[in-house]
Amino acid sequence: MKQFWNITRYILIIVLNIIMMWLFQSYLNFLFLIALLLFPIYSVYGLHCVKNAFSLELQAPLESMEKGSVFLVRVKLHNPTAFPLLNATVKLELENTFHREDGVHFLNIPIRAHADTVVEYPIVMDYSGCFVVNTQYVELVDLLGIFEKKIEITKSASCLVTPIGEDYTQEAGQLYVQGVSEATESRNKGVDFSEISGVREYIPGDKLQNIHWKLSVKKDEWMVKERVSMSAVQLHVLLELYNDEQMCADAVLDLAQSVTKSLVSQNLPFTIFYYSARLGELASYYVGSEQEHKEWLEMVLYDRCYKDTLHAKHMFCQQHVGAGSYLYIGLADGDGNSETMITGRQGSVAVLCAC
Amino acid sequence: MFFGRNKKGELHKGDVFLAKGIYLKQPVMKNGNVLMNCFLRAFVVFLLTYGSIGAFLSAFSIAYNALLVICIYLWLSVYFSWLYTLPKFYMRDVGYILFFAAFVFSIVRLRYFANSGFYEIVNRIMEVAQGYFNLAGVRQYEIAIDKPYLTVAIVACFVGMVFIILLNIWLSASASVGWSVMITFPMLCIPLYMELVPNVFYVIILMTGYFLVVTFKANGHYIASPKGVSFYIKGLKKNRITYTQDSKTFRQVVLRIFLAGICLVLLSVAVFPENMFKRMFKNDPLREQTSELVGNFVLRGFGAFYNRYAGAGGMSGGKLGGISNVTPDYQPDLIVTFAPFSNEAMYLKAYTGGRYGDNEWEDIYADSENMQKYDDIEIFEDDSMKNEAMALRQKVYDADVHGGMGKMKITNVGADSSYMYYPYYTLFPDYGDFNNYGMMRTKHGIFMNDHAIYNFYPKLVWEEQLGKMKPSEQDLSNVNTIFLEVPDKNEEVLAHEIAAMGITDSMSVNEIVDTMRTYFSDNIPYTLRPGSTPRDEDFVNYFLTKNRKGYCAHFATTATLMFRQLGIPARYVEGYAFGLEAALASEENTLEKYFDYYDGYAPIGESTVLDVEVTDAMAHAWVEIYIDGFGWKVVEVTPGSNEASDESDFWSAFTSALNVSDFGDGWDSENLFGKIDFKKYWWLMYVVIAIVSVVFVWKIAMLLARKTIRFYRCHVGERKENIIAYYADLCDMIRVLDASFNSCRSHKEQLMYMKEHYALMLDVTMCCEQLEEISFSEHLMDDTQLQVLYGLLRTIRKSIWKNADWKKCLQLIKR
Repeated sequence: MKQFWNITRYILIIVLNIIMMWLFQSYLNFLFLIALLLFPIYSVYGLHCVKNAFSLELQAPLESMEKGSVFLVRVKLHNPTAFPLLNATVKLELENTFHREDGVHFLNIPIRAHADTVVEYPIVMDYSGCFVVNTQYVELVDLLGIFEKKIEITKSASCLVTPIGEDYTQEAGQLYVQGVSEATESRNKGVDFSEISGVREYIPGDKLQNIHWKLSVKKDEWMVKERVSMSAVQLHVLLELYNDEQMCADAVLDLAQSVTKSLVSQNLPFTIFYYSARLGELASYYVGSEQEHKEWLEMVLYDRCYKDTLHAKHMFCQQHVGAGSYLYIGLADGDGNSETMITGRQGSVAVLCAC
Repeated sequence: MFFGRNKKGELHKGDVFLAKGIYLKQPVMKNGNVLMNCFLRAFVVFLLTYGSIGAFLSAFSIAYNALLVICIYLWLSVYFSWLYTLPKFYMRDVGYILFFAAFVFSIVRLRYFANSGFYEIVNRIMEVAQGYFNLAGVRQYEIAIDKPYLTVAIVACFVGMVFIILLNIWLSASASVGWSVMITFPMLCIPLYMELVPNVFYVIILMTGYFLVVTFKANGHYIASPKGVSFYIKGLKKNRITYTQDSKTFRQVVLRIFLAGICLVLLSVAVFPENMFKRMFKNDPLREQTSELVGNFVLRGFGAFYNRYAGAGGMSGGKLGGISNVTPDYQPDLIVTFAPFSNEAMYLKAYTGGRYGDNEWEDIYADSENMQKYDDIEIFEDDSMKNEAMALRQKVYDADVHGGMGKMKITNVGADSSYMYYPYYTLFPDYGDFNNYGMMRTKHGIFMNDHAIYNFYPKLVWEEQLGKMKPSEQDLSNVNTIFLEVPDKNEEVLAHEIAAMGITDSMSVNEIVDTMRTYFSDNIPYTLRPGSTPRDEDFVNYFLTKNRKGYCAHFATTATLMFRQLGIPARYVEGYAFGLEAALASEENTLEKYFDYYDGYAPIGESTVLDVEVTDAMAHAWVEIYIDGFGWKVVEVTPGSNEASDESDFWSAFTSALNVSDFGDGWDSENLFGKIDFKKYWWLMYVVIAIVSVVFVWKIAMLLARKTIRFYRCHVGERKENIIAYYADLCDMIRVLDASFNSCRSHKEQLMYMKEHYALMLDVTMCCEQLEEISFSEHLMDDTQLQVLYGLLRTIRKSIWKNADWKKCLQLIKR
C-alpha cells in the first residue's frame, strides 16, 4: 500500500511538473522532468545492486547474561555497493525458549553504502532462559519507495539469561546437613541411591556395598560400581520446573540458583534432578564446583519448562524408591518435612522431602 | 500486553515490549547522532530555501551577499531543526518565542535596510516587467540606502526565515512534498512567467532539496530523531520499529542525490539545450491570454483586475478608463437589414462626444445653464447633419454617377435602447430626435425588439479637394468651438505625441489623418485588455505616457483631442461598425428585393438584401473630423490587433556563455547528435575535469573525515567505548588485508585468527571474555583491566602494520 502511495505521489509530481512546464514553457521544469524520469532508474538499479551483494548477520553475547541486565544484540547489514538504501526491513523473531514465549517484529534500518550498518539492540529480559533471535527474510526498498525486493536470509543468534541468586548460605547449609544425615541413614541401611557413573576393577579398600555382584560373577573377577561421588556424601536436589501464567518457573529458577549457589560456595556437592521436557525424562547432574554449577544451569536453561504440575517429583519418587530425604525446590505443595525451609517468590520453596 | 512502548508508571517505562518478558531498552541517543540528524533536516530546509530564493534573485540578475545569506540560512535551519529535537514540547515554544523576540529586535534595527532591499528587488522586477510587458512607465520606489549587495541580502534573510520556519514545520511533521513545493515554488513563477530561468547552480540546489524530501517521505525516515530516541515505533499494528540513529546513510543519500542532480542538469543542458526545448512549443496560450492582465497588474496592482463599470461590449456612453477588460458576449445587439453597396465599413452612429472632461466624453448639452450655447450646438449639429444628407441626396437627384440611396432597417435585439442607431447621411424628418440632446430628452432610442427604418445617401467617393487644405486654411466659422476644445491637462502630452508623430504645420488634413493612423498602428498595440485607468490618472495622458495600449475608445478619444489640438474640429463617436466580410457572412433576406434597399452607384455592384447580425463585439468608437466644404467625415484611427512579445531569455544567455546556444540545430534531421560540431564541446572537458577534481577532493576530504572520526571514536570519550571501536577498527583492518577474516564470526574466532596470523602471544580465552563483557554487557570493568586490554589491542595493531607489505599498507591508508 505504501508503495502504491509512493508511486501515486511520484506520478502526481511528474504530472504537476509537466503542467508547469507546459504552462510556463519553462526550461527549469523541463530539467526537473528529466530528473524525475531518470531518478527512478537510478533508484531501482541501486536496489538491484544491493540485493545481489547484501548480507546480514545477527550477533548475541556468547557469555550468559544475568536476568534484568541489558545485553546487546547486533543486527549487522553489510552492503559493499555504492548505493545506500533508506529502507531495509528485517523480520526478527525473538524467543525465550525456556519459557516458550516469543514475539515477532520488524526492524526498519537504513543501509549504508560501502560499509556495515550495525544496529545495537539493547535487550532486557525479565525471565531467565535462553534468548534466541532469528530472522527469515529482509525486505529491501529502493530510495523512492516504489520497488521492493524480499531476500530470504536465515540467521540466528542466542544468549543465555541466568537467574538472579540471593544469599541463602546459612539456610542452605542447614538443609544440606539435615538432608545428608537422613541420606546417610538410608545408606547405612544399605541403600545408596547415588548415581553410578561406571564400572571398574576392584581396588583394595573399596567398600563392599559397591561391588557389582552380577558382573563379578560373569567376569570372574571383582568389579566395583563407580559412583558419581564416591568420596563425599551428597544431597539430592530435585527441581520442579512447572510453569503457569504467573511465570512461577522463573521464581523456582531464581530460588534454585540461590540455594545451589549457596551450596557450591560452601563446597557442598549435590546431584540435581529435574524433568527435561526436551528429553522427556528425568535428567540429573552432579554439581561439585562453580564450573559444574554453571554447566548445570546452562543445561536447564537450554531446556524448557512444562505445564504439568509436580511432574518431576512424581518421576523422581518412582525412580528413586527409598532414596530417603532430598531437597525439593519448586512450588510449595505441603509435602515438606524439614523444619528449615527457604521461601522464594510466588510460593516457591526449597524444602526437604522424602519419597 | 501488546507490541509497543510501555507507558509512564509501568515497570519498563519507555521500553519497547517485544515478547513476554523481553523488552527493547531505549538507549540514550548519542549527542553526535542527534546533532547529525538535526543537521540533516536543517540541510534539506536550507537547500529548499536557498535554492528557491537564490533562484528567484538570480533569475532577475539581482546581486546579493551570498555568504551572509548562506550563513544566516544555515544558522536558522539548524536552530529550528534543533527545536524539534528537544524532549519537551514547551521547550520548542520557548525557542520560538526567543526567536520571535530576536526577530522583532532585528527588524526594528534593520528596517531601513530591509525596506531598501525590498524596494531594490521590486524596482528590478518592475524594470524587467516593463521590458517584458512593453509598459511605457512603471512606478519606481525610492531607495533610502543604496547598498543593494547588502540590503537585498538582508531582505533575502527575512523572507528566507519565513520559508525556513514553515518548511521546518512541514518537514519535521510529515515531510510533506506538497507543502515543500507550495512554499518554495510559487516565488519562482514570477521569473518563469517572464521567461527568465534561474542560474543552474540554484536549479541543482533546489532539485536536490525536492528529491531529498521525496526520498525521505517515500521511505518514512522523515522523522530523523523524534524526541532523541534511537528506535521509533511507526506502526503498532505492524510491529514495526524504525532505527533512526544512522545519520551516515542519510548523508550518503544527500551526497548521491546532489551529485546525480549535477550530472543530470549538466547532461540535460548539453544534450537538450534550451533553444531546442523552446522549439517544442508552437504557441504560448498562457502568456497570450494573460500577459496583458499580468502587465496591468504590474502597473496598477489588484485594481487592474476589475472593471469599475460594465465592460461587456456594447455602448459605454462616453465613459472612459473604467474598463479593465472588454469581454464581449458575441450575441447580436442589432439586426441590420440592408443591401451592401461598398466594401467600406458600415458605421452606425449612436453617441456623439463633445467635451472631454474627467475621463468621460461629457454630454454637450449637460451645461443647461448656458442655454444660448446649447441652442447653438443643437442648431449646428442638426444643420450639419441635414446639410450633408441633403447634399448627397442632391447628387442622386442630379443623376450623379457616384450618387446612391440606401434603405436600412435596424432592429434592436440586444443593444442599449437609450440610443438611436442610424447610418451616416440619413435624412430625418426631425433631427432633434437623433442628436444627443434628443436622445437625452426622450431617454430612449430604438426600443428592444422594435425597429427603425432609415433612408440614407452614402458618400462613396471623396472629392480630391476635400481635406487637401491645411487645418489653418479651413473655414471653421460655422463650427461650434466646443469641437476644438482641448483640456489644459492634456495639451502638453498631446503636443509631445504629435511631435513624435512627425506632424508639421505644412501637412494637410488628409496627411495628418494618414500620419496619425500609421503612427498608432506602428507604435501602440490594440488590445481588449488594456486595464483600467487608475483613478488619479487622466485617461488620455495615462494611455499615451504609461499604458500605451488600448481599444477603440482609447484611440478615438486620443485622436479626437489631437485633431482638435491641430485645429481640426473633431468629435468622438460611439456606435456599431461592421465590414463587408461580416455582412456577407450573414443570412440573405430573400423576402426583400435589392432595389427596394439600394439604388444608384455601388462600387461592389448589385448585391442582395442581407440580415446582418451586429454583435456587441462590433460596438466601436471612432472619430469625426470636420472637412471644410463638406462636413463631418468618419476617420478610423484604431489599429488592428497586433500583439508583440518580448524575447528576453536568460537561459539562452547561460547556454551561450557555455557556447552551446546553437548546437543541436540538426538534431531532428539525422539523429540527436546529427550535425553537432563537436568542437563546441570543449567546455565539456572542463566540466569533466571539474567533476573529477570535485570527486578527488571529496575522496580526500572523506578519507580525512573518516580517519578523524575513527581517531575520535578510538581515543576520546569512555574507555570502554574506545576499546570497542578500536577492536572494530582492528577487525576492519584485517578484513581489508584478508577477506577470509569475514568467516570469523565470534570474538574467539577472530582472536584465534589474529594469534595465528600475527604470531602473537595472546590469551585468547581471557581476551575473548573481556571483549564479550565490554561489548555485550553493561558491567563496568575496572580501569586497569581496560588499560591492559587496550594495550593488547595496540600490540595487535602494530603487528598488523608490521606484517603488511607496501601494497597492503596503501590499502590500509586508503581505508
